[in-house]
Amino acid sequence: MQMEFAGFPYLSAILLSCLAGLLLILFIPREKQLQIKWVSAIFSGITLLLAIYLFFAYDKSRGGLQFVEKLEWIPYLGIQYFNAADGFNLPNLLLTGIVFFTGVLTMWEMRERVKEFFALYFLLVIGVYGLFMTMDLFFIFVWYDVSLIPMYLLIALWGTTRKEYAAMKLTLYLLAGSALILPAVLYLVVNSGLNTFDIVALMRPGTFTPSQQKFAFILLYLGFGILAGVWPFHTWSPVGHVAAPHAVSMVHAGVLMKIGAFGVLRVAIFLCPQGWQHWAELMALLAAVGIIYGVLAGLRQTDLKYVIGYSSVSHMGIVGLGLSTLTVDGLNGAVLQMFAHGVMTALFFSSVGYIYDRTHTKAIAELGGLSRIMPVASSYFIVAALASMGVPGLANFWAELLVLISAFRVYPVRGLLAIIALVFSALFMLRVVQQTFYGPNNEKYATLQDVTFGLGMPRMILVAILVLFGLYPSLMLDMIETASIPFINGLP
Amino acid sequence: MAVLWSKDVTLLAAVAATLAPFASFVLIMVFTRSHPRLSAGLSLSAAGISLICALALLAGHWDMPEPIQYSGNWLASGDIHIPFGYLLDPVSLLMLAVVAVIGFLILVYSLGYMAGDPGFARYYALMSLFLWAMMCLALSPTMFQLYVFWELVGLSSYFLIGFWYEKFSASQAGKKAFIMTRAGDVAMFVGVILVLLNLGNLNILDMDNPSIAGRIPQNLLTLSALLIFGGIIGKSAQFPLLTWLPDAMQGPTPVSALLHSSTMVAAGVYLFERLFPFFSLSPHAMAAGLAIGTISMLLASTMAMVSRDIKEIWAYSTISQLGFMLMGLDAGSFFSGAFHLTTHAAFKALLFLCAGVFIHKFATNDIFELGEKGSRNLRVPMVCTVIAAGALAGLPPLSGFFSKELILAGLAGLANPLWLAAALLGVFLTAYYAFRPIFIVLFPHHSTSSQKASSASPDSGHEDAHDQAAYRLMAIPLLILAGMTLLLGFFQYPLQDFLKYQYAYLGIPADRHYGWLPYVASFLAFGGVGVAWVEFGRPGAARVGFVERIPILFRLFSERWYLDHLYRYLLERVVDKGLSHIFAQNDNKVIDGSIDGLGHGTVESGRIIAFLHTGMIQYRLLAIFVVMVLLSLYFFF
Amino acid sequence: MIVPFSHVLFLGGILFLMGIFCSVTRRNLFMIVLGVEIMLNAAAIVFVGAALRWYDLEGQAFVLFVLAVAATEVSVGLAMIVYAYRRTGSVDPSTFDLLK
Repeated sequence: MQMEFAGFPYLSAILLSCLAGLLLILFIPREKQLQIKWVSAIFSGITLLLAIYLFFAYDKSRGGLQFVEKLEWIPYLGIQYFNAADGFNLPNLLLTGIVFFTGVLTMWEMRERVKEFFALYFLLVIGVYGLFMTMDLFFIFVWYDVSLIPMYLLIALWGTTRKEYAAMKLTLYLLAGSALILPAVLYLVVNSGLNTFDIVALMRPGTFTPSQQKFAFILLYLGFGILAGVWPFHTWSPVGHVAAPHAVSMVHAGVLMKIGAFGVLRVAIFLCPQGWQHWAELMALLAAVGIIYGVLAGLRQTDLKYVIGYSSVSHMGIVGLGLSTLTVDGLNGAVLQMFAHGVMTALFFSSVGYIYDRTHTKAIAELGGLSRIMPVASSYFIVAALASMGVPGLANFWAELLVLISAFRVYPVRGLLAIIALVFSALFMLRVVQQTFYGPNNEKYATLQDVTFGLGMPRMILVAILVLFGLYPSLMLDMIETASIPFINGLP
Repeated sequence: MAVLWSKDVTLLAAVAATLAPFASFVLIMVFTRSHPRLSAGLSLSAAGISLICALALLAGHWDMPEPIQYSGNWLASGDIHIPFGYLLDPVSLLMLAVVAVIGFLILVYSLGYMAGDPGFARYYALMSLFLWAMMCLALSPTMFQLYVFWELVGLSSYFLIGFWYEKFSASQAGKKAFIMTRAGDVAMFVGVILVLLNLGNLNILDMDNPSIAGRIPQNLLTLSALLIFGGIIGKSAQFPLLTWLPDAMQGPTPVSALLHSSTMVAAGVYLFERLFPFFSLSPHAMAAGLAIGTISMLLASTMAMVSRDIKEIWAYSTISQLGFMLMGLDAGSFFSGAFHLTTHAAFKALLFLCAGVFIHKFATNDIFELGEKGSRNLRVPMVCTVIAAGALAGLPPLSGFFSKELILAGLAGLANPLWLAAALLGVFLTAYYAFRPIFIVLFPHHSTSSQKASSASPDSGHEDAHDQAAYRLMAIPLLILAGMTLLLGFFQYPLQDFLKYQYAYLGIPADRHYGWLPYVASFLAFGGVGVAWVEFGRPGAARVGFVERIPILFRLFSERWYLDHLYRYLLERVVDKGLSHIFAQNDNKVIDGSIDGLGHGTVESGRIIAFLHTGMIQYRLLAIFVVMVLLSLYFFF
Repeated sequence: MIVPFSHVLFLGGILFLMGIFCSVTRRNLFMIVLGVEIMLNAAAIVFVGAALRWYDLEGQAFVLFVLAVAATEVSVGLAMIVYAYRRTGSVDPSTFDLLK
């Protein structure tokens, strides 16, 4: 058995601490809700700390794959347990840690079936973490499905608006995606003639002919693109966001959609660079349409969570546009946008969660005047709205800047379309902010409490992260560059 | 850069000037939101530090032949490098000083004006943010940084205009301001990217270098100049994006004062000054700018002639004065624009602050009501208003006269006399609309006013000392600004001297003097004042303007030339009921419909197939046997 | 072997057809199970005969399996029929079409 471990297996430690948390939760009696929550918070905190450690311990001057953990699993089929970190997945691992931890804190006031909820939540996150760190095609597929099933249950059991419909729709969409991914993966593995699922081995130039790459790329792009909310396969996402409980919405919009984009990057683009070059025009078109479409369709929504859902469609369009530009800046912007958008939507849903828990409504028309009653809770939402509009000083601005510049350079018309969407995204968000938080005091809600320090903590963390990377984007970009520059330079 | 920090006094001063307001913003937002006095103290001391540093920088670099530039790396990605730094040259130092001075005075004034407001701490935090953004914008060495702070200026004015967010109109106005300027910003963003893609970087010094003409094709240069000018149109509220500015008066009056004088709208003109050589390389862009400045100037003047709201009148006057500045700059006369920007900052801040005192006292914006309630009894603000309005109208010894005269001189140098004629018409209209409210307030029609005032004055004696203290606090900045308005005009030559190295390489010819021009301009200005006097001021005047006698014009002017109606129509019909509706319907009906249809189709086809399925276990058995028999027949025989 | 193998086959075939006839035509759940049992036994007879014919014990071993399967099948089947009877009061197979 071939083993290769570079020092302490931090990546596996993340998975193991999730697993340990899951098991511990299962052994705690269901009545001890507080204990369950503490265990969840501690173990999710551990994974966050590990992710932060990895983020800073990664040697940027050396670049490449680090913290490699390789273990033959089924040598006959060429399946390995192969985890590694590079500049593309570290931001996403960090993002997962942040959203995971703050999601647990957001659900602190939960009362119903707490044990099952957190157990499934941990299972979901294991899948997400695993997918981001693995370098083996087989495991990508496995982790994808591991994260899918808990998502269905979490929405169908704890959801709110049209939850069964949403859960079923989401699951069907994502399974359709995986039905596209699986044949493409098998096609690639079989045609490589290498009898391995190892991405590093498969991505060597010359492994696949251009026509093979074109065929496999479009399948992989559509398959993962469904998960990334690529227009016109986006309609599962607003519905799913709305129905899901807050923490699940956070993971769902914050991380799960990134899995799609990350899959496009890690599988489709890594393995089929020539297919990428061939289909880039189409990707850019779909992305640009998605950007402006999401914003405009969102203008008419009347539910706070729908609004955020549509803004996600638009923002994921920016990721797609960045990925389609075939430039270093585009890739950098796309990966930074994945991170920034994840944190931003987590903040959105976390704030909406607080508002919903207090007012018991998400209908924009019924809200209004909240800013006077709960100024702190409102300002968290407003910060997220600002990030969504691409206001400088928050992380999203830099991502959008990079993507839009490189998109405008490569595809002027589509880039212009995306830039024009900035006006509407401002209109869109400001309208929501105005209708929800401004206006005269609402008598109905006059007795509500503002968010306390403890409950506000997850939002505080998220705001701090947005501001940190907004003021100091190099912290993240230097990391992404270690992966994007060699990749673009290595293109045929 | 880091090494120099402690040694280089200039850099230290620049950093301190720009960092202090930001620090106070963060401190107030995070720690002292619930302590209004402490917050105000923090904000004021930060503004004080900025003021001292800005003035020190101005004094220390009075004679500066070469711009000083500092930059450190902020972000590098692929071939996009975004440095962060400071560019100190006469224009930016002048702007910094203007922002610092006006900002500090307005913050002092706000102590009185905003006293007792529930959002006092938030107000000071946002004002600090506003000042910070504007100062960093002024000192930006690259268009990237400038764009960043440009957006932040827009953002902080959004919050400040919508400061009293319980009022629907306020939050609406804030939103409108942000969106309309965003529309301009998008154009500017595209223009900036165009420059970046062709030039490779966005250093303002590089963009201002005449050699850029050789590095960018001429039509691209024109296109990007026009697009960047789009940003200026949005920010400086020029035609066609001018209607947000009059609505922006929904914010607290000191905010309007800051917004109209030295920050938000001035940013647009400042950007033009900043990129003056860049723009002047493109004659088409200059011509377009000249036309837009002229149109805005005249349009806004007509609107100001019929408004009854004192703040709205001053807001329109801002648009028209900004139009004047752009006309001067576009005519190729750099100094006239810069000078008018400076003098305008002082007198416009003064006008708004005075209006603020009236509004604070009488709780109305209507000029007729203000007159009847006895605004004339408030001596200090009334006198100051008259001085500032005089400057606005361009009456001789006041600052506005000098700067406006320079602009006219610049326009007179153009081949086409149309521009000068338009500008002279503008001078007349400006004088008219500036003095119309003054006469209405000063000489109220109803003689009851004096009784009211006399009955009001003993009342005010009973009022607590707090109000009196607030009034005095507000009066100090007024007096300082009035002094500046009176004197600034005489500093024309020192200022010209100070700015002489700016763009010296362009070889801008010194403005020619036209001996007759000041006389014509003053004659027209006094004419405007005179018409206003005849219609509103003289005893027994009808108090109906000549425009109001023509109903069509009156309606056109007071409805802002129906621009707002047009925008509302576009927004509702095209965006809301058009695109957005179609897209949302498409999502619901077409995409979801087909997906749901797929689901239903599956269920239905299952139901159809279920008919084969009689539910009778024995038929199934029989079917099994028959099939097996047939299969065995097939395989064995 | 006294009886020729063809006779054994013939007997098995007859029994099998009878089982089919029984399970397909009778309107009683018990009789269906009975028919299935008869078919199993028909197969078992053929297995035993074949074991004798080729002197191979595997055939007999299979019969033991068949018996075991038949026993379990009967027990499960009867239990289900009893349950169904309790639920509906009928053993007529045509009344059980809930899945239709």
